[in-house]
Amino acid sequence: MATTFLQLCNEILREVNEVELTSATFDSSVGVQTHVKDIVNRAYSDIVNEEPQWPFLSVAESGATDPMYGNVYVETVAGTRWYEMKPASSSITTDYGYIDWDNFYLTTVGVSGESAPYESRNLRHTTIEEWKDYFRVAENLDDADSQQYGVPSRVVRSPDARNFGLSPIPDKVYRVWFFAFNQPTKLNLYTDELVFPDVYVPVLISKARYYIHQFNDNAQSAAFSLEDYKRNLKNMKLHLMEPDPGYFKDDRIRFI
Amino acid sequence: MSQSLPFGISCKGGLNTNLNQFEMLSNPGLATQLENFEVDSDGGYRRINGFEPFGSTDATRPNSTNAILGLFVYADGLIVTSGTNIYFTLDGITYLQINRASVSASGDNYSTFTGRSVAARTSQSQCNFSFYEGDSQYGELLITDESSASKPFYFKMTGTGALSNRTYYAKEVTVSGTVYPVTGVIHNKHYVVSGDSNNPNTIYYSGTNDIDDFTSTGSGSIKLDDKVIGLKSFRDDLIIFCKNSIYKLININDSSTVAIVPVTKNVGCLDNHSIQEIAGDLVFLSPDGVRTIAGTARIGDVELGTVSRQIMSITETIANSIDSFVVSSVVLRQKSQYRLFYTVSSDIPSQAKGIIGSLTSQGFQWSETKGIQATAITSGFNSNGVEKTFHGDDDGYIYVHDSGNTFYHEGSSASMRATYETPNYDFGDFGTRKNINYLKISITPEGTAQPVLRVRYNYNDPDHPQPNDYTLLSVPLPATFGESLFGTGVFGASNDPMVRQAVQGGGHTTSFRLRTEDSNPPYAINGMYIDYTPANRR
Repeated sequence: MATTFLQLCNEILREVNEVELTSATFDSSVGVQTHVKDIVNRAYSDIVNEEPQWPFLSVAESGATDPMYGNVYVETVAGTRWYEMKPASSSITTDYGYIDWDNFYLTTVGVSGESAPYESRNLRHTTIEEWKDYFRVAENLDDADSQQYGVPSRVVRSPDARNFGLSPIPDKVYRVWFFAFNQPTKLNLYTDELVFPDVYVPVLISKARYYIHQFNDNAQSAAFSLEDYKRNLKNMKLHLMEPDPGYFKDDRIRFI
Repeated sequence: MSQSLPFGISCKGGLNTNLNQFEMLSNPGLATQLENFEVDSDGGYRRINGFEPFGSTDATRPNSTNAILGLFVYADGLIVTSGTNIYFTLDGITYLQINRASVSASGDNYSTFTGRSVAARTSQSQCNFSFYEGDSQYGELLITDESSASKPFYFKMTGTGALSNRTYYAKEVTVSGTVYPVTGVIHNKHYVVSGDSNNPNTIYYSGTNDIDDFTSTGSGSIKLDDKVIGLKSFRDDLIIFCKNSIYKLININDSSTVAIVPVTKNVGCLDNHSIQEIAGDLVFLSPDGVRTIAGTARIGDVELGTVSRQIMSITETIANSIDSFVVSSVVLRQKSQYRLFYTVSSDIPSQAKGIIGSLTSQGFQWSETKGIQATAITSGFNSNGVEKTFHGDDDGYIYVHDSGNTFYHEGSSASMRATYETPNYDFGDFGTRKNINYLKISITPEGTAQPVLRVRYNYNDPDHPQPNDYTLLSVPLPATFGESLFGTGVFGASNDPMVRQAVQGGGHTTSFRLRTEDSNPPYAINGMYIDYTPANRR
């Protein structure tokens, strides 16, 4: 069982010799106890902000729909360019926390009424500037005139970060797969569990200690805690984000 | 700000309900709650002794469930008044009824005495005893009661050994017609009485060396301005405590110069049963607290002082409801203590309260009692010169006061709850939040003691985290060579062990409370050492 919010808070409270919380007193915490609840969440946010692609924030398990890579898909509509990445979300506060723009994939596999041979291709990320300079005018004119559309080959990120656009504008229904990461959920109930393995709990604890020692005007202990945090975070990143062998990829040969 | 700092307090000063929290910081040894503790004249706060049935496991009640109205240590036993009767007992097990009529002036033997008819003490209520040493074997005793429905009752006993071998003298003393005084005192060869319901302003005094005759040579009466509450002989004078004033009667043996001299017309006495003599001064309960009448260097002069300012709120409570309280008081000579108990007779014994004033080098220091219902109390030396203290309750039980480890309520043993609470310490800087690391509490055990510690921050602010109570490690009784019994003491234990208790939490102020609620022997709390760490200024 992962470490609970109550356990995290009490570890900090013990560190500074404060009165521990219980399941009965957790909701009615006061003073420094409530502050500790706050700083545990603040420390959690700090960890998340360090690296938005933490595996533990993945929206879903990758490859759950074999053989597609990506954990979310959106189905296109013929003649529609822009799509909300999270249709169920009403604002940026509830959107995905991070999108891997280098991993968009378009396919007709799984689309109702489609059969082999299927359409399937990677979508290259195109900056909004490049798209408006080279593609927007022609595609808009086509949309307003013959409406030929086409098979999208590029994906564009909308400036408000809530939508992705396809270029060319899709001519039929496709599934666009991509990899998304959730925003962190604040710990709230005493039973709420950390979403990352217990071995990385000291990362969060050391950052929370940094805050509580600051609260106690104990600059020296705060500095020590911050050092602990940085060292532990570095290891956490190394282990969770960069476990792959270190290859360099150079595809210039393709253009020779 | 991470280095821990020390703070030490010595338990002294007693209970103080009067000073505000900031004023108390200059006297950290004071207590904001000191219940069932007594201020030890040698320092520290000692949990009081309990009380035990007089007669131990064979104890009986003299008059069924009738309340005990008066007690007096007489001869080698105890005089008890209850209901409409008066009793004498040697052991608290068997009682001899002594309010007999038609007793021979030359005394009755046991069988004659017990065969006499009963002289019922009509509507008897709280009693007052006046003891005249005289030249008889045990002295002579005169009893009045607050109902003003009976004449003073005279009793004398001679002889030793079994009660059946003794001679008894008893009669009612006529003061004047149907004058039924409520209070009396032996003063300079006279028996002085007052408080008759029809003549509340008049004092009557008997003939010289003739305490049972108010018509013989030397007798007389004097009328005062104010209603007499109590009388007390003090040096050469008789202090007359009135409702709103105090007088003294001088020169009682000189009919030409006998006079009433006012002491004060601003202060009166609330209850006759609060008047005691301790350490050469008279102590009594006045509307503004416990006061003393002290002699001064000038002959015939006295000065009034108030000695209970520290517990003003408690004495105000007593004063405001004085008519509903049954008040009794006693002086424990060996402890230099004045104890005053007040109870509403309809209250259960566990709710009865009292105050203890311990006379120290810094004057009176106070504590409270809760659970001692004393409708009557006495302390005196018996014929063997041994100080005996007894009290009786509203249910008719008689107890050996200040003895044992428990209370008895309605005849059954009950554990005693004792509480000592400190002021709210700011450790010299109110603005800084302090983390309390641990306490070391100096305790002198008289047996195994295990107090429970409560720590409260920021004046017990409910919006501030407060830790759970801590049960201290059991404090053992140290074994003393030549005294300790095998299995009752711990070899190598300190006489005054320091019990260390780690605590959690912090705040701008911190108070500590030590409490026991058990039947263990008493212990004294001498002081505390507190280790804390200044945290921040939020």
